[in-house]
Amino acid sequence: MISSRYITIPIIFLLLCTQTLWAVERFPPPDFVETDHKLPSTDYITDVTPRLVLYEYIDVAVLAGTLSLASYLVLKNRSRRAIFALMIFSLLYFGFWRKGCICSIGSIQNLVLSVFSNSYVIPLTVLAFFILPLAFTLFFGRTFCAAVCPLGAIQDVVLLRPLVLPKWLESGLRLCAYLYLGAAVLFASTDSAFIICRYDPFVAFFRLTGRLNMMILGACLLVIGVFIGRPYCRFLCPYGVILRQFSRLSRWHATITPDECIKCRLCEDACPFNAINTPTAPWPASNYRKSKIAITSILIISPVIIFLAVLLGASISDSWSKMNPTVRLAERIYLENNGMVEGTINESVAFRSAGTPVSELYQQASIIKNQFKFGGRLLGCFIGFVISLMLINNSIQRRREDYQTDRAGCVSCGRCFQFCPKEQERLKKLKEQSA
Amino acid sequence: MSPENPEINEKSSNKQILHQAIFNTAVVAGIFSIIVFGLLVVNYLQVRLLDPMRTERLENLKLQLAEKPTDEQILTQIRQLDLQIRKDKISRLNFSHQGAILLVAGIIIFISAAKIAADLKRKLPMPQPAHDIQTKQVRHVTLARWSIVSFLVLTGVFAVLFAVTKKIDFSQGSSSYPSEEQINKNWPRFRGPQGSGVSFYTNIPTKWDGKTGKGIIWKTKVPLPGNNSPVIWDDKIFLCGANKKQRQVYCFDRIKGRLIWQKDVTTAIPDGNIPDIEEATSYAAPTMTTDGKRVFAIFPLGDVACFDFKGKNIWNKNLGLPHSMYGYATSLEMYQNLLIIQYDQASADDGKSRIFALDAFSGNTVWEVKRPVGGSWTTPIVAKIGEQHQLITCADPCVISYNPSNGAEIWRAECVSGDLAPSPIYAGDFVFAVSPYNKLSAIKPDGAGDVTKSHIAWTVEGDIPDISSPVSDGKYIYLATTEGILSCIQISDGKKLWFKDVREEFNASPSIVGKYVYLICTDGTAIIIESAEEYREIARNELGEEVFASPAFADGRIYIRSEEYLYCIGNTN
Repeated sequence: MISSRYITIPIIFLLLCTQTLWAVERFPPPDFVETDHKLPSTDYITDVTPRLVLYEYIDVAVLAGTLSLASYLVLKNRSRRAIFALMIFSLLYFGFWRKGCICSIGSIQNLVLSVFSNSYVIPLTVLAFFILPLAFTLFFGRTFCAAVCPLGAIQDVVLLRPLVLPKWLESGLRLCAYLYLGAAVLFASTDSAFIICRYDPFVAFFRLTGRLNMMILGACLLVIGVFIGRPYCRFLCPYGVILRQFSRLSRWHATITPDECIKCRLCEDACPFNAINTPTAPWPASNYRKSKIAITSILIISPVIIFLAVLLGASISDSWSKMNPTVRLAERIYLENNGMVEGTINESVAFRSAGTPVSELYQQASIIKNQFKFGGRLLGCFIGFVISLMLINNSIQRRREDYQTDRAGCVSCGRCFQFCPKEQERLKKLKEQSA
Repeated sequence: MSPENPEINEKSSNKQILHQAIFNTAVVAGIFSIIVFGLLVVNYLQVRLLDPMRTERLENLKLQLAEKPTDEQILTQIRQLDLQIRKDKISRLNFSHQGAILLVAGIIIFISAAKIAADLKRKLPMPQPAHDIQTKQVRHVTLARWSIVSFLVLTGVFAVLFAVTKKIDFSQGSSSYPSEEQINKNWPRFRGPQGSGVSFYTNIPTKWDGKTGKGIIWKTKVPLPGNNSPVIWDDKIFLCGANKKQRQVYCFDRIKGRLIWQKDVTTAIPDGNIPDIEEATSYAAPTMTTDGKRVFAIFPLGDVACFDFKGKNIWNKNLGLPHSMYGYATSLEMYQNLLIIQYDQASADDGKSRIFALDAFSGNTVWEVKRPVGGSWTTPIVAKIGEQHQLITCADPCVISYNPSNGAEIWRAECVSGDLAPSPIYAGDFVFAVSPYNKLSAIKPDGAGDVTKSHIAWTVEGDIPDISSPVSDGKYIYLATTEGILSCIQISDGKKLWFKDVREEFNASPSIVGKYVYLICTDGTAIIIESAEEYREIARNELGEEVFASPAFADGRIYIRSEEYLYCIGNTN
């Protein structure tokens, strides 16, 4: 009788080989009927084997593995060096090897599009990239930002001379990320553009090629990043906005000290990301009343803020709708038809050659513009709401006794660990035990 | 640290040396990265500045080659330049790629060294006494609120800047083509709106004299000859002219007669292959057409050109040299944003005849239909029949109606034969087709398929023209033969009401202005008769020059192209 492994192993091997069958060409090449041009079959460009679907699952496995390892390193091992090493691995793997795609930040758009579009189904791997970091954040804090995200990694690596920004300035700058998130959702929901991917400032570096303007933007962010820790993560990253909220609720989180805080103040300047909350002094009695008035005033004017933001959202919707290719084409056709521009562009020529009635195009464009109008108002409402909440949040007088990590803002990089004398004590004990 | 302890001193010294070494490494890597970056920038600038100049030179050479296709020297220059551009492109790409790798490597070394050097020199934390935490807290809260409000204000400013960009309302003026009213007020094609030869304006002069200059507002010399007729849109008149070597499009000021611009149209046909075309047809027989924004011309070598009203060449296309016995002479027609070209040639058995509908904006073919006919010199018309537009064509052996949107055939009637030049017209619910020297057929255009037996209402024989097209006021139809015989037929039943030998020769087609019929003879004499059951001549005006083109009408004016001049006739007072 033949042993089962003699059958199982070849079957598994054959199944692995069939992966290439899954990797079909997504877009069939044109047939060049008019010119009788034949695609050269031996051309090295057209003969490139599509990427195996298997790799996508490997990516998910690597993501899950790095997230688990990062969480362990942050919460148990508490080793900045190990976190840094894992961060370098992630930068090489998800950044330079996988060319920055797929990434969890961009997956927001895939998810949004799958919700709003009947013709788009989000791939499971993309869904995993969206959910896994959130799930880990819910349990362990922003360990994804610490050592897995290649965008965070490349900024962390270049941070050489950290300057600490005033915290109050951060409050204002952070709103950019909320606006970016809202805009990304708006553009994705209208199937207009994946702006997070299009304006990814670092993907050009990962691919060693890209548009000049994006390279300049990325270079600027990296130069800023030499002095100001992770500017993209803190002030622009739309995924970071979601992670911040999840991290607030996380079951466990990185702590400065492994033990009780002795308020030695050694960690005070340890965090380049302004994510250490210092103990507060008692608030002046007169300020309590002011604070109450401020909160009440903000609550009263919140509807006004939201209304203003809605108006602003509606006013920009028309300009933003131009990001949609259908609207852009319709406007181009309109301008050409009315003699307001000279000449044609490839898209308008292709449209006219297709023979589709212009009225049909205008109708589609009008529908999309209306979607933008509605979406713009929702975006305004969202931003207005966030602004109101942030104003209230900044008016609440909190009391803190210890030095603590800011759960929302802390990216669990582990820089602060070594500044704590209790941590040094722990390491010494561990050394002694191992000796 | 104690300076007396030699072990610590040694450690410190080693650390210092290590730091210096790593720091120097960082400096070298940094300088290396800056140099590589600089070279990459220079390479990039070369790509951006040098390549477009070369590409422009290459394009110029290609244009020169189009004019002199057999010039081997230009051809060699093109090949060499093209090879050079490609070689440079590939070498620059390689340079960029290798440079990028070196730059990344340099930056990695620089960052690593800088980080290690910084670690070696890291100072231990030394917290300073905290002063006035309370005030700091209060200040922080206030500033944080202001920073958030500032964000809102800044966003608002940006939003307002975005909002002031011009908005487009698709419900306003969505059509790319002129309205029926605009077309009627202009003369956008051969024989005016719908090719009917009927003027929208009735205030047209009936008296002039080319020899004395009476009634001649202006006359302007047309640089190159051609038998095509003037086309009018607003204050501009378009004509084309050509000889065997040159083809040109002209734009005249309709009011003052000034030649505003003239543009050459190159041909894709090599010099040696250009056929000799009969003088009677000319190298510029087809009349141009316009959609009110662009103007289109076709020449007998198959070259189609589009210009904007400022004379900018928008696109060119060659349909292939037509096999036409007397030279291609079919004029252009527009339907919405489609330029319709009836490209009949050779014999029906050759299967070469086509109708093309080109996108007016780009010249791309939107649809193309093969026609079961031989060569013809008639011009198609697009007529609104009921609620539907029909593209009506006429060539041996049949009149065929198409859907102008997609080229689908609607009906056909086999009722014409021979070398057809008179174009069809639509009037009084009939399509009229002329079979030269043979008969005039009145076809009811509401059929489908072959309507030869079912929809030909009547036919009339005798005094049938071979060049000029008929004209009708909806009640009567007028014909003018080349030999000078005019006839009038009643539309309702095909009864010939009268005929008259006016002892002239006609090539131009007759026109109707109000209650008058205008006929321009080949010697330049204009005969104006009353549109009525009986022949009654109103006026005879001499131009003093030969005329083969049909006239165009505008508000109070007639425009006639003679052999050499373009005349504007109107009230000189």
